[in-house]
Amino acid sequence: MEKQKGNKTRLGILVTVSFILLILAIYFIGSRQQLFSKTMHLSGIFTDISGLQVGNNVRFSGINIGTIDKIEQITDSSVKVDMKILESSGKFLKKDAIAVIGSDGLMGSKILVIIAGSPEGKIVADFDTLKTTMPVSMDDILVNLKVTSENSAEITSDLAAIIKNIRNGNGAIGKLFMDNAFAENMDDAIVNIKQGAGGFKQNMDAAGNSILLRGFMKKKKKKEERAKERAIEQAEKKEIREDKKEIREDKKQTRIEKRAERKEQRIEKREERKADKAGKEE
Amino acid sequence: MPDEMKSTATDKVTARIPAVYTNALTGFFEAATSGSLFTIRFFKEIVKPRYEFSEFLKQSYLIGYKSFPLVAITGFIMGLVLTIQSRPTLVQFGAESWLPAMVAISIIREIGPVITALIFAGKVGSGIGAELASMKVTEQIDAMEVSGNNPYKYLVVTRVMAATLMLPVLVTIADAIALYGAYVGVNLQGNVSFHLFFLQVFEKLEFLDVFPALIKTFFFGFSVGIIGCYKGYNATKGTEGVGESANSAVVFASLAVFIIDMVAVQITSLFI
Repeated sequence: MEKQKGNKTRLGILVTVSFILLILAIYFIGSRQQLFSKTMHLSGIFTDISGLQVGNNVRFSGINIGTIDKIEQITDSSVKVDMKILESSGKFLKKDAIAVIGSDGLMGSKILVIIAGSPEGKIVADFDTLKTTMPVSMDDILVNLKVTSENSAEITSDLAAIIKNIRNGNGAIGKLFMDNAFAENMDDAIVNIKQGAGGFKQNMDAAGNSILLRGFMKKKKKKEERAKERAIEQAEKKEIREDKKEIREDKKQTRIEKRAERKEQRIEKREERKADKAGKEE
Repeated sequence: MPDEMKSTATDKVTARIPAVYTNALTGFFEAATSGSLFTIRFFKEIVKPRYEFSEFLKQSYLIGYKSFPLVAITGFIMGLVLTIQSRPTLVQFGAESWLPAMVAISIIREIGPVITALIFAGKVGSGIGAELASMKVTEQIDAMEVSGNNPYKYLVVTRVMAATLMLPVLVTIADAIALYGAYVGVNLQGNVSFHLFFLQVFEKLEFLDVFPALIKTFFFGFSVGIIGCYKGYNATKGTEGVGESANSAVVFASLAVFIIDMVAVQITSLFI
């Protein structure tokens, strides 16, 4: 009898655990589908839903805030998509928000992405219809990619022709890079410029020593000397200021250290007194 | 055409077919008829009082609780191995993060129920077949009938009901254990927190993954129970028949599991 009772208990535990697991699974799947939370309904009208299905996620600011509830063809060129959105997230959606069909990663299923509206816009109400926009399809991307690749092919062929011309020494740049005679001429020209500059300096020195310009040159020299002296004085003053500052900081530091020492001493004395008292009491 | 001429034509045709085939065919149809009648009798007996509730509980304990360790170990290994085997392919596609969801869907939709049912057929189907067959060949069933008891109600209904109701329980627990095995498998070569694993699993699971799989386990359990009982209840040829009944119970129950699974998948695909 006791054994039978024990068997029943074990069986009961097994069945209960199984039920709990099943109920938990139902709860977690249901809560993902917003079965147990307050929701609101929004819709959008698209010309092409690109394979969006009932149950796909609705995403706003990168967060899944709802699921696609119903997809209905209303005319030959428009499809109405109803979505169930969490009420707690719906309060952040503005009436001018835009719904667009996207993809969850490269291989993922389709999702409906809601792009935030203007901050000053009104908050959406239940059963509102959002504005929609068509996503960039893979075909559009491929068409653009084809045009881009054609352009780049043209550019590279032109570039190849230009480089060929440069190598052959055609045109101004070609001469600059490839013509040796041009490079030698340039060297000669630079040597000439150097020589010319040296001659000019000698002429200027001679002019400075001449009677006509001597007064002017002296004044110029004095001005330069005064400017130098002023710069030295300012540098010295700055050094003195910095030294004073350092001294002040040192004094401050020593004061802090002394204060800390005194505090430690006080604490030690207090502890000693306490220990004495405790000893006397014993 | 006169009747005599008709019968002679039929005789000519049957005369050309070897006797082995005709006997096998006749045997198959006879078994189909008696199996159907046996199943119909089950539905008749189940509604009729008196109900053998304590025997049903005893059988549930023996069939359900006693199979639990085997099912648990199988479930854990199933999840672990499936994860380890699936990982390299998903890594090649850069879809490693899909591993928990993929393994969870595989386990809950298909592998969990079918593998558990096969293990169940092996353990319980053969057990029921051998037990009832030995009772049959030792004339215990006949004795019950003579003493005024209904052996079908006491032996068959309780066992089939227990098998039908216990398999879903075992499959639910086996699925949970297999998912834990998958979590261990994911963490053998990677590093995924339990919370993230849990979120990834339930991100892709739908009610349509859980309920059809759960419903078909009732049918799996029923088929294992009824086939085991049928084979045992109709055992012949003495002790040799016991082994034969146990063996054929496992074979036919396993086959029935696959056939039911195929039908269930076809029906489920109508709703997806």
